[in-house]
Amino acid sequence: MRDRFDQQLERLHVELIRMGALCEEAISAAAEALLKDQRALAETAMEKERELDQAEREVENLCLKLLLRQQPVARDLRNISAALKMISDLERIGDQAADIAELTAHVRLPPDSCVSHIPDMARAVISMVTDSVDSFVKRDLDLARQVCAADDEVDALFDQVKAELIALIAADAAYGGQGLDLLMVAKYLERIGDHATNVAEWVEYALTGVHPSNN
Amino acid sequence: MKRHIFRAILAVALAVEAASLVLIVWVLHDFFEERVTEELAQSAAYIARGIEIHGGAYLTGGLPEIKRITWIDSNGAVLFDNWEDSAGMGDHADRTEVRDALLLGRRTAVRRSDTLGQKTAYYALRLSDGTVLRLAEDQDSVWMMVLQALRPVFLMVALALCLALWLAGRVAQRLVAPINAIDPEDPGGETAYEELAPLVGKLRDQNRRIRRQMADLVRQREEFNTITEHMQEGLLVIDRDTRLLSCNKAALELLGAEETPLGESVLALDREAGFRRCVEEALAGRAWETLLDRDGVCRQVFASPAERDGAPSGAVLVILDVTERERREALRREFTANVSHELKTPLTTILGTAEILENGMVREADIPHFAGNIRREAQRLIDMVDDIIQLSRLDEGGFAGSWEAVDLYSQAARVLEQLAPAAERRQVTMTLEGGPAPVWGVPQIVEEIVYNLCDNAVAYNRQGGAVAVTVENGPEGAVLSVRDTGVGIPPEERERVFERFYRADKSHSGGGTGLGLSIVKHGAAYLGARVALESEPGKGSAFTVTFPLARS
Repeated sequence: MRDRFDQQLERLHVELIRMGALCEEAISAAAEALLKDQRALAETAMEKERELDQAEREVENLCLKLLLRQQPVARDLRNISAALKMISDLERIGDQAADIAELTAHVRLPPDSCVSHIPDMARAVISMVTDSVDSFVKRDLDLARQVCAADDEVDALFDQVKAELIALIAADAAYGGQGLDLLMVAKYLERIGDHATNVAEWVEYALTGVHPSNN
Repeated sequence: MKRHIFRAILAVALAVEAASLVLIVWVLHDFFEERVTEELAQSAAYIARGIEIHGGAYLTGGLPEIKRITWIDSNGAVLFDNWEDSAGMGDHADRTEVRDALLLGRRTAVRRSDTLGQKTAYYALRLSDGTVLRLAEDQDSVWMMVLQALRPVFLMVALALCLALWLAGRVAQRLVAPINAIDPEDPGGETAYEELAPLVGKLRDQNRRIRRQMADLVRQREEFNTITEHMQEGLLVIDRDTRLLSCNKAALELLGAEETPLGESVLALDREAGFRRCVEEALAGRAWETLLDRDGVCRQVFASPAERDGAPSGAVLVILDVTERERREALRREFTANVSHELKTPLTTILGTAEILENGMVREADIPHFAGNIRREAQRLIDMVDDIIQLSRLDEGGFAGSWEAVDLYSQAARVLEQLAPAAERRQVTMTLEGGPAPVWGVPQIVEEIVYNLCDNAVAYNRQGGAVAVTVENGPEGAVLSVRDTGVGIPPEERERVFERFYRADKSHSGGGTGLGLSIVKHGAAYLGARVALESEPGKGSAFTVTFPLARS
């Protein structure tokens, strides 16, 4: 009985790693589609998003089954409840990535970009997602805390991008539509950063039993 | 076992006690019954005397009513009964004791009383007038006496029970002690019970066998570890649930993991889509391979399913570092593309010029010019093919030529002479410094090295530049240094200039085969010399070749 419980916990861990990997792939594909102008990758991102939705439902089922049938306590309970919270953040990351991918169909980075910070933002956010998943996989508390710290950096970048877009539109009104789309992209990236932070916070909760927001 | 023995002993003790108790009660009962009868007989004799003397009135004269007294006529009619109404009592002649007393004079009997309905002891005595006096006492009083007598017995029984409990515990302990004393790890040779000898022997045998098997297992595991730990290839073994069962150091290094997460999912090591696919396919029973290209390291993963009883029970993953192979492959592709391009360019010129000549579109006077073009391009092709042949010889190490001492200084002087016309055309001044420096090597290769370096220094120099060649005897061997004042080579291209057909100056396609530095590099490697390059873009470059110490 106990053995089966452990097996299911292990499966939960594997499923979460898989979801994390899917997230990384979705956001990388979306960013590449945008930055390198590769349309085919946009489709990849959307496909990953659908897989993520499916995975979220499966993991949710697994978590509920574990909670109801095994009635876990202490650390196991914490892990499972953290997993339940994490999957919704991971799924949201997938959604945002798909949203960015959708926008790439009609948005192009202006040549000689005056919005040079969008690629920076994308890189920062991708590394945040990777680190948050890594912190979960390796049960690395320090890494989780680093992710939370990196979010401020992304927020600062978002402000810079906003200023750059204002300047872009002010200089040439023809960039109005593009500028707004790019703002959306930046906003999605910023949201992904927030979700990655959430994931890292839940990792911290699962490891220490204290959610950072309670400190 | 201790409990069993304890229970068995206790049960025996209890049974013995119960049996003794029954026996005691029976004996006591008999004893008391006899006493009661005796007492009845005494009382009867006493009362009989009373009746003989005083007649029937004696009976009514206030005798104690402890015992039932019945006086019966010889014909069986009850004359008197101190407990019951004698009138209501029937004929008593048929009562055993009365009948027998009438015949024999006295009689005792224990039977159920018809009148009182109780088990009763009787004593009947025939008086001299033929009447019968009968005394009776019920059995309850016997039992009362038995019970009274049993009181100390019960105490004894209780004490015996306690003693039995304690003894049973002690005995059980004593019996089990030698069995407990047997060490299952090392049963020894002797045992207190001979019945245990075969068991102990078996235990000893099995212990020996287990130790041997364990030693075998450890040895096998060590062998396996030694083999896998020294493998260049990464090896991972996983079970059906992707849990890591075994992995070697190379695998961890190739996947960039620091610790061995045995028992955890292999996906914790790498969760890239390609790797995941590999794991999934292998666990589904299909062999799969994939290429992971990340962080500048290219790894090839082969996943094979491991089957047990026809069902997939896990997978074996082998990881190879194929970075070098992939790089060589890329270089080879680039080389093939370059060589075709480089060979095709002069051929196109030759073809075009020949067509123009063929069509007679060229004036007589211009023919030498066009023919010169064809000759020049053809010469370039020949140079290039020569260079390629030279290079492939160096590659294969099968360069025909004997090793001998070569003077680097005179070699350099000859090369400068050869290049003088070309230098003059580009107004490049050439200087040679230093002195004789012997080098042990193949003269043709030494010449190729010096020639190609100086040729490049002139060809890629600016108009009116300078080439300084220095030959000297260094502590590590003869050193040739060629310094120019040309365009220079940017840092990121310094490695690549030695590649075949690579040109730092992309626009510069005239002259040279693009193979010169490649020949220098391979030639130097053949001779065991070292090539170093210093360069400052816009100012010039300096190539230094350090030859190994000449043999004395």
